[in-house]
Amino acid sequence: MFHTKKPSTMNSHHERPMCVQGDSGLVLTTDPKPRLRWTVELHERFVDAVTQLGGPDKATPKTIMRVMGVKGLTLYHLKSHLQKFRLGKQPHKEFSDHSMKQDERASTLELQRNNASSGMMGRSMNEMQMEVNRRLHEQLEVQRHLQLRIEAQGKYMQTILEKACQTLAGENMAAPNYTNNKPMGLELNCGPPSMNFPSLQDLNIYGNTDHQLELHHQTIERSSINNAFMPSNNDTFYLSNKRPSNNSSGKSPLIWADDLRLQDLGTSSCLDDHNGHIQIDRGSDVDSGSDIYEAKPVLSGDFEKKFDVSTKMNHSAVTAGGRSSQFG
Amino acid sequence: MVMDLDHFPNFSYSATTTTTTTTTASTDEGCHWNDWSPVVDWEAFSGGQEDFHHLIDSMMDENVVVHQSTRPIVHELEYNTLSPEYNTMTDDETNNNEDCKGLRLIHLLMAAAEALTGAHKCRELARVILVRLKELVSPNDGTNMERLAAYFTDALQGLLDGAAGGGHGSGHHYKEEHHQTDVLAAFQLLQDMSPYVKFGHFTANQAILEAVTHDRRVHIVDYDIMEGVQWASLMQALVSRKDGPPTPHLRITALSRGGSGRRSFGTVQETGRRLTAFAASIGQPFSFHQCRLDSDETFRPSSLKLVRGEALIINCMLHLPHFSYRAPDSIASFLSGSKTLNPRLITLVEEEMEPSSDGGFVGRFMDSLHHYSTVYDSLEAGFPMQGRARTLVERVFLGPRISGSLARIYRARGDKEGCSWGQWLGAVGFRPVNISFANHCQAKLLLGLYNDGYRVEELTSNKLVLGWKSRRLLSASIWTSQDSDL
Repeated sequence: MFHTKKPSTMNSHHERPMCVQGDSGLVLTTDPKPRLRWTVELHERFVDAVTQLGGPDKATPKTIMRVMGVKGLTLYHLKSHLQKFRLGKQPHKEFSDHSMKQDERASTLELQRNNASSGMMGRSMNEMQMEVNRRLHEQLEVQRHLQLRIEAQGKYMQTILEKACQTLAGENMAAPNYTNNKPMGLELNCGPPSMNFPSLQDLNIYGNTDHQLELHHQTIERSSINNAFMPSNNDTFYLSNKRPSNNSSGKSPLIWADDLRLQDLGTSSCLDDHNGHIQIDRGSDVDSGSDIYEAKPVLSGDFEKKFDVSTKMNHSAVTAGGRSSQFG
Repeated sequence: MVMDLDHFPNFSYSATTTTTTTTTASTDEGCHWNDWSPVVDWEAFSGGQEDFHHLIDSMMDENVVVHQSTRPIVHELEYNTLSPEYNTMTDDETNNNEDCKGLRLIHLLMAAAEALTGAHKCRELARVILVRLKELVSPNDGTNMERLAAYFTDALQGLLDGAAGGGHGSGHHYKEEHHQTDVLAAFQLLQDMSPYVKFGHFTANQAILEAVTHDRRVHIVDYDIMEGVQWASLMQALVSRKDGPPTPHLRITALSRGGSGRRSFGTVQETGRRLTAFAASIGQPFSFHQCRLDSDETFRPSSLKLVRGEALIINCMLHLPHFSYRAPDSIASFLSGSKTLNPRLITLVEEEMEPSSDGGFVGRFMDSLHHYSTVYDSLEAGFPMQGRARTLVERVFLGPRISGSLARIYRARGDKEGCSWGQWLGAVGFRPVNISFANHCQAKLLLGLYNDGYRVEELTSNKLVLGWKSRRLLSASIWTSQDSDL
């Protein structure tokens, strides 16, 4: 404990030696304008009075003065003390509000000590802390929900894209290993190149990276890719790094934002992958959308820039996710 | 500079015409020009910003100066047609080429718009300017401004042709039905590179969730369901809600139109099947209905099947980038029809077109140009290196939107259409419902997932606005027609 309950012993701990204890037990400084020290005892009486009056919001300086019945206490003292009590404000030692009156500062110092012993102020501190926590919690909840919603939407988009792939596949040629009656959301079809990117995106959402290489390289290996979309994956929703070389598939949701951002930039890496690997002509009808994902010489100027961006992205992946990436 | 008047018979006309154009700009729209620079990324053109401002200043100074600054456009029409290499020589500084080109495109577009509709109509001039514009730009490459100008050129061409034929004008050059795969790929890309779609859907959904916390049956009437993407996340949220009664039964009634487009009966039916399957996969009790609009897309409330005890929600997504233009009459009939049903909540997502002072066609045309250039820029910032991806999104969604938008303001010349649907809802007696902290928070978090530059603001207590830099683009607002507080 910082000091005993006896107000008189306080001075020995205090940097202000010139204090006197008045008749009524109040500790006042000897300055021309006496300041009040809110001792533990005094504060406890104050708190009792406030409680008796129905809490800090109902109590007024006047009623508190009546209930406390301490001679020498003025409305002025009570007003400022009550104000602080209501605010539940932690008076820091390094309190820098220079406009604050000296005596108030003195009393807040006392208050701070009192907190440690009485715990009364601590309680209202807790209330404030709880309010902060509540907001924080709400934000976290919102964030968690948002993630789930984005995933749900992504999953739904996936079903649309799959259906489109099926239709396309049906239009172009009957794919050999192909069945139309699989449950929704559990399969991935490699459609024409233009569908490649969306699929990749969703693949990332579902936390599968192991099969991306196949995805890049071969359409025929549909079955193996389909494996990646077995039901068990539905609960591993964490976002993962999209790089084929990186096989981590789940990670803390707390850093999902960075991951999503990475993912939003996903095409860069897709394009880079295509650039690095062999672009496969899937032989399906090459509609105008398809050339987006193809590495064409025309774009060669762009590729340097792309590479730049990817490097940056890698860098941010390292800093954000704390993982190393062997891209390159 | 030599003018070949024979080759350009309407020049004397055109000089007056273009003067009126820019006079409008300097008086009514003057402030918009100042707005341009932070939004349009002029630096991307060449970095010669000072010169650009100088040009603008000179445009805004006096009519006389305006006259001078517009005159060369007409000259260029000549010179460039005759000898392309002369083009570069007319530019004082070659490194300002791009900059000048962007500005010149704006000039030409304005001139064309003015020639099409202005006081001194000159269709021939408009036609010539459009020909010139088409030589300058292509929707598939070039800077944002150039690609954008290509779509505006096309839309103007559509208006010109349509007006000539006496029919209602609408751009048709890019109107060919896109392959479904293209549409879906573009849709996915759009969702990945910008928050527009999710912002609209999630803000509306959060409001819906908060409005039906204690309900066992929820009925949503969706004006334009499209692929139904909005509802997947709502179902997920309903299934996982903790407080209140168990997962409510969700019923969605989608309005469908005739024809064979993306909103035809068959397409909507397929959306219904997909939603039903999705609901089943996550354990959401669900049923799906269709409600056909009349042939003129009028909504008859009596055609809805309502069940007592259901919380009725009206969902009206109007201008998300991937939605195409809907006739105002149809929207009005839907919203006013909804009023008679006394819905618990109305969710409205619409474009924020910043009001053109009093507009006229050219004013609104420039607003539109400004608006879409902002959209283009935001997309570019999202996926800077994926020019081809953006081109696809632009071709599939934005091009048709631009021509639809211009067709609307072309037809609406004269009447003051200026009010937003949100204002309209307020005017017909719907009451605003406050946007919750969680909803606002969600929007902020969502934008945080995308590139910098997007921002969300709570414009009024019931409306969140998504903006890009200094320009507001899309708003989501929530309303009720019931007296009880939600």
